[in-house]
Amino acid sequence: MIEPCHDVVCSFWSYLNQGPMTLTIILHTLIVLPMIWIYFDEKKRLERGDLPNE
Amino acid sequence: MEEKVSVWTSNRFWRRSATWVTGVASVLLIFLTFDSMAQMKMGSAKDIEKKIDRRIPSPVVINYTIDYKLDPYRGHEIPIIGGEMRRPEGGIKSAYEKKEKFFGRDDYSEKEARELIHKGKLTIQAKNCMDCHTLLGNGAYYAPDLTKAWLDPTWETLAPAYNGKEYAIAAFLQDPPKMAMHERKMPNLGITKEEAKAVVAYLKFMSAIDTNGFPRNFGKIKGAVDARK
Amino acid sequence: MQGSKLYQSQELAIKYFTVAIILFGAQLLFGLVAAIQFLYPNFLFNTLDFSIARMLHINALVVWLLYAMIGAVYWLLPDEAGIEVVGIKLANIAFYILTAAVAIVVLVYLFVQIGPGKESTIWFITEGREYIEAPRWADIGIVAVVLVFLYNVYATVMKGRHTGILVVLMADLIALAGLYLAGMFYTDNIAVDQYWWWWVVHLWVEATWEVYVAAVGGYILIKTLNANRKVVEMWLWIEVAMMFGSGILGLGHHYFWIGTPEYWWEIGALFSALEPVPLVGLFVHVLYDWGKERGKGNEIKNTPAFAWLTVETFGNFLGAGVWGFMHTLPQINLYTHGTQWPAAHGHLAFFGAYVAIMISAMYLAVQGKAGLERLRMTKAGWWAISLISVGVLLMTVSLTVAAYTQTMVERGMHGATWEGYFIAQANRWFVQGMGWRLAAGLAVIVGYGFLVYDLLTCAKKQPVEEGEKEVAAAAA
Repeated sequence: MIEPCHDVVCSFWSYLNQGPMTLTIILHTLIVLPMIWIYFDEKKRLERGDLPNE
Repeated sequence: MEEKVSVWTSNRFWRRSATWVTGVASVLLIFLTFDSMAQMKMGSAKDIEKKIDRRIPSPVVINYTIDYKLDPYRGHEIPIIGGEMRRPEGGIKSAYEKKEKFFGRDDYSEKEARELIHKGKLTIQAKNCMDCHTLLGNGAYYAPDLTKAWLDPTWETLAPAYNGKEYAIAAFLQDPPKMAMHERKMPNLGITKEEAKAVVAYLKFMSAIDTNGFPRNFGKIKGAVDARK
Repeated sequence: MQGSKLYQSQELAIKYFTVAIILFGAQLLFGLVAAIQFLYPNFLFNTLDFSIARMLHINALVVWLLYAMIGAVYWLLPDEAGIEVVGIKLANIAFYILTAAVAIVVLVYLFVQIGPGKESTIWFITEGREYIEAPRWADIGIVAVVLVFLYNVYATVMKGRHTGILVVLMADLIALAGLYLAGMFYTDNIAVDQYWWWWVVHLWVEATWEVYVAAVGGYILIKTLNANRKVVEMWLWIEVAMMFGSGILGLGHHYFWIGTPEYWWEIGALFSALEPVPLVGLFVHVLYDWGKERGKGNEIKNTPAFAWLTVETFGNFLGAGVWGFMHTLPQINLYTHGTQWPAAHGHLAFFGAYVAIMISAMYLAVQGKAGLERLRMTKAGWWAISLISVGVLLMTVSLTVAAYTQTMVERGMHGATWEGYFIAQANRWFVQGMGWRLAAGLAVIVGYGFLVYDLLTCAKKQPVEEGEKEVAAAAA
C-alpha cells in the first residue's frame, strides 16, 4: 500500500508523494479545508449581525 | 426565525479566505524550500569517496567519466559518474570509480575544481549565454540546450581531431565562427583560453546534475539508435 | 471630472506612462531584430547579436511594464485615497533617478554588451540571468526607488481612505518588491541559482503581478462602467484567494528539471493546472459587469480603456491560462521544456495579462488629463487595438506551430542533441512558423504606431455629442 520513495534523497515531502497526486491532494486539502470553518464562522457572525460596519 | 444570510457574497468571508490561503501557501512554500535547499546543496569530494549520490555533485566530478543512462529504479535517465554499479534495490547508479583525463589531468582537488567552475559560471553569466542557449532548459531558444552538452555526440565525433573533446569544445568557444557547423552561428565573444577551460569544466559539471530525466532520450538520434555508443 | 485639476501624483503617473510607452517601442524594435535573426541569422551578426537583441527585448518589456504599473498606482492612489500622495516631491526625484539608471543600463547593454568572466561584470555590465540581467548596482538602485514608492503608497493610504482595492495593492506591492531581493545574489550552483531566479520571475508574473492586475482591473471597472464597488471588491478578494492559492505553489512547475527533488512534479502539476481558474473568474466578472451595467442603461465612460480591459481578460485567460496549461504537466513538459512552447505562451500571456491592462490604464489617464466626461474610441484607436491584438494572437499561433515541430523533431525523434536541434530548426514547418511570426510582429509594430498617435491625439478628436452641439448652436 505504502510505496517506497525512489528519489535521490527521501525527505518528509517525498514520503507524502505516494504515486499520482497524493502529495498535492494533501496540500490542497490543507489549504481548502479550513475555509469551511471560516465559512461557518462568518455565517454565525452574519446571523448574529455583530459585524463592524465597512 | 433567523434572517437568511449570504456568506458567499460576503466580502469579509472572501477576505479572510484570501488571507488564509495566501498565508498557508507561503508557509508551505517556505518549508518546501528549506527541504529542497538541503537536497540541492553542492556535494563534496567526501561524498564521492563514500559513493553518496547528490543531486548537485561536487565539481570534482570533472575527474571522472560521465554518462547519462536509464535507471529502471528511478524510472528515468540519471547521470552516471565514474562508471555504473548495481543498486542494491535494483537498477543502476554511479560507481564513482572510472576516471578520465580532463585537460591532461584527473586529480583536480576540490579547491581547484571549485575555482574552475566558479570562473566558468561567471563567464557563462558575463557572456550572456542564457539569452541564446538554454541551461537546464531555461533561457532563450535560439541555440541548443546545454544541460547535457558535455555528452553531445557532436563532440564525440570531433574529439579525435583535437585530442579529446574538452579541447574541441574549448577551441570552439574561443572562436566559434571558425568552427561553425550551421548558418546560424555563435558569435566570437572574446572568451579567453582560461575562460574557455572554465566553461568546459562547468558544462561537464552541469551534465552530472540530476535533472530528473531531462532531457529525455538524450543522444538517441533517429529513434532507437543510441548515437553515444 | 470636467475641468478638475489633476493631483500632482497623477501628473507623475503621466511621466511614468510616457517612459513606459517609449520603452514599449524599444521592446518591439528589438523583438523585430530577434525575429529577423531567426530567419536570416547574418542580420546584424557581430553588431547586435541575438543574445543582445533578445535581452533588450525582454528587459524593455519588464521595465516598461513596471513603469506602467507604478504609473497606474500613482494615478489611482490619490483618487482612491481621496488625498494627494504623501511625499510626492521624493516620488518625483525617484522617478528621475530611476529613469537615469535605466538609460545607463540600456546604453551599457547596447554598447558594452558583455564582459570578462569576473565579478566586476556582474556588478557593472550584466548579470546574464534572463529577465533580470540588470547589473547589481542597478538592482540596488531599483530597490531604493521602490522603497520610496512603497513609502508613498503606505503613507498615503494610512492618511486617506482605506478601500479594498488599496488594501490589496498595499499587500501585493510589498510582496512584489520583496521578491526582487531573491534574485540579487550570485552562486556557483546553477540549480540553486535558478531556484531563486524563479522566485522572482514566477512569483512576479504568476502571482503578485496577476493580483496587481486584478486590483487595477477592479479600479478600471469602477471608473469606466460605474460598477458597484462592493461587488468589484468581493470579486477581487476571490481572485486574490485563487491566484495566490494556485500561483504560489504553482511555482513548482518550474522545478521539474533543474536539479530539484521529484516531489515538485506533483506540486507543480496540480497547483499550476489550477492557475487558469482565477483568470476565468476575472473574465466572467468583467463580462458579467458589462452586461449588468448596460442592462441598467449605464454608458461606458471610456470606451478604449474598456475595450483594452476586455482584451486583457481574453488574452490573460487564453495566453496565461490555456497556453500555460498546454505544457504545464510534467509528462508533457519533459518534452516541451526549453523549446518554442514557452515562447508562444510567453508572448500571449505577457500581452494578455499585462500589456493590455496597462494600455487601458493609460487611456484612463488620457481621459483624466483632458478632463473629459466620456472618452470614445477613435478610428486610430480601433486600428491600434485590432492590429496589436490580432498580431500578437497570430504571433502566438505561429510560434505554437514552430513549437510543435521542435518538440516532435528535436525532442521526440532526435533526443534533444545539438544535431537534433538544428534539424528541427531547419524543418519547413518551423521556418514557416517563424516567418508568420515575423509578419504578425510587423502588424503589431504598425498597431503600436497607431496606439502612440491615438494616445497623443484621441482627446482632441472626440466626436461632438448631440447635446453639446445644441449648446454650441445656442451660444452662437
